[in-house]
Amino acid sequence: MVTRIAPPEKPWRLASPKTMPLIEIDQLSKHYQVYQKQEGLWASVRGLFHRQYRQITALDAISLQVERGEFVAFLGPNGAGKTTTLKILSGVIHPTSGTCRVMGHVPWQRANAYRRRFALVMGQKNQLWWDLPAQESFRLHQHIYQIPAEQFQATRDELVDLLGLAKLMRQPVRELSLGERMKMELTAALLHRPEILFLDEPTIGLDVVAQHNIQQFLKHYQEVRSITILLTSHYMKDIEALCQRVVIINEGRIQFDGSLAEIVGKFDQERIVSLRLADTTGIADLQQFGRVTRSQPPQVQLRIPRSQVTSALTEILNRYQVDDVSVSDPPLEEVFAHLFTQGREATDQGASAPKEDMAGSRRLTGEARH
Amino acid sequence: MADDVRTKPQQSANRIVNEPIPDATAGDGITGTGPLVYWRVFRTFVRNSLVRSMGFRANFWLECVSSVCWTIMNLVFFKIVFSYTDSIGRNTGWGENEFFVFLGTTWIITALIQTFVMPNAQEFSELIRTGHLDFALLKPIDTQFLISFPQMVWSNLANLFLGILLVGYAVLRLMADESNPLTLGFTQVGLYLFFILCGLVILYSVMIAMASTSIWLGRNQTLYTFWFYLTNFYRQPMEIYQQGMWGWTLWGFFTFVIPILLVVNVPARILAEPLRPGLDERTWSLAGLTLLVTLLMLGLSRWVFQAALTSYRSASS
Repeated sequence: MVTRIAPPEKPWRLASPKTMPLIEIDQLSKHYQVYQKQEGLWASVRGLFHRQYRQITALDAISLQVERGEFVAFLGPNGAGKTTTLKILSGVIHPTSGTCRVMGHVPWQRANAYRRRFALVMGQKNQLWWDLPAQESFRLHQHIYQIPAEQFQATRDELVDLLGLAKLMRQPVRELSLGERMKMELTAALLHRPEILFLDEPTIGLDVVAQHNIQQFLKHYQEVRSITILLTSHYMKDIEALCQRVVIINEGRIQFDGSLAEIVGKFDQERIVSLRLADTTGIADLQQFGRVTRSQPPQVQLRIPRSQVTSALTEILNRYQVDDVSVSDPPLEEVFAHLFTQGREATDQGASAPKEDMAGSRRLTGEARH
Repeated sequence: MADDVRTKPQQSANRIVNEPIPDATAGDGITGTGPLVYWRVFRTFVRNSLVRSMGFRANFWLECVSSVCWTIMNLVFFKIVFSYTDSIGRNTGWGENEFFVFLGTTWIITALIQTFVMPNAQEFSELIRTGHLDFALLKPIDTQFLISFPQMVWSNLANLFLGILLVGYAVLRLMADESNPLTLGFTQVGLYLFFILCGLVILYSVMIAMASTSIWLGRNQTLYTFWFYLTNFYRQPMEIYQQGMWGWTLWGFFTFVIPILLVVNVPARILAEPLRPGLDERTWSLAGLTLLVTLLMLGLSRWVFQAALTSYRSASS
């Protein structure tokens, strides 16, 4: 099931004598006990005295290696285990079993020497002081991370400059927009120049412009600083723009590990051909070339198997008067949706717990974990 | 806006590239987590919380006024009590002025706890429930320190000044007492301050240990209720419990199990000397016990805290 593809060789890796990967995860599992809440008042009262728990598997023996300087995306539906992985890697939670080493440290031992070298940014939680200008939180970080004054100023000014935050430094965080706040969060997280950056849905809830800004920033920053970034996101745009390597997690297992191009090549066997016809006669016959997904004469959209695209196009151009033609890949969303359903079907065939049930109990406890 | 960011990287690129790329051992260069770091972080907490409370000016003054009012009513209440009696308990030595030293000490300790400890204990419980404790766990600094001091509610400090005033006033009255004057040396004042500190540490330990249980309980909103129970018991001279089976049981429980009776009693006894001249043997043995209890409670709270952290589940994403 798991497709392991070695990450591409990087020039700086050749220069470095170390061959040990930066992040090594081996057979990592995480189970939660979750209180089963029954419906209704009487059941709730009973729940005060006698509780039923069920076990949820957030991570099911995943193994993974990441090299220095990689930009890896974790992709998967809600509750797949992406956030859990990041939380274990950053030492916030302990795994149930398995081993993990990041830069030679066991994350959940929470050694200060380790904690100085990475940062975690979460789109859903913010760490800046809500009622104060972000500048005050930055100062606190300076003292906590013991950043020398000169380095602190240089780093801060550089980040503020890159993210265009200069005008917002004196505003209380609560008065910033979501996008501005996320930029401030990123700045705070990067002040101590971490070597690894864990990003948990950094663009969640942002508008297209803000998303784009943050993508541009991350891309640029990762390139010049050659830091290692692990990112989870729901937005395919993030992943398309940023990551060379994609790890697909579903139901606590790694379904795929490789480059974006490989996914598209492997799972996406069709191309989308859009036509604008000058003459719509015989439009119905187009379906012999492929699946017609949209027909609004004079516009027609077809799905044609990848291998037949060339021959089909030649034929179509011969037979019809075509004003305009374009060929594109199906949207990534579709590819992933397909992948996730595949994973689910595979699990459902096994005698495991029904999926619906699991999602339901997560929602009820109000403490869903990813 | 989008153009802004798109063009910026090119401009600043040179500046960044010139700096050395961090190598694997860069982080190990700084290993010092000496007291200086903690002092600087603490100072920043003080600064930030001050800026924050000044930001809500009206709220700040309202809080000051309401807590001062409550405290003055408290004083009036005991004035009335002492219009019916000369002392609290027979032959205990807690006359009006001695008791006002006790009362002032209670205010001082309560004000300090409500300024520095309670907001953080409460916030800690909240951090656990919302999963924001994540950020504290990421920082290369002692987690217990980090969650113990970030929030300070400065308006609660108003009572500290009232307490100091009351203690000062009552001590002067005692020193002016012609029949049995109080004589104070520097050692005694020093010991008074030291045992106030011990009392603060004991209360801090109890509250932090209580708040830590939120990790197992999911949420613990009984903190303030619990604090209310505690203050109800520690604000009385311990002699009032020392009679009858129930009284002695309470005394034993709050001296040895949850040792909050020592918090105010020991420093107040040292300063007011209810059985003067001189400090009686009992005061010294209580002081010794307090010293031991302080260290024990601090150790215990640290142990509970660490144990709780390993069970942290980090709510939500």
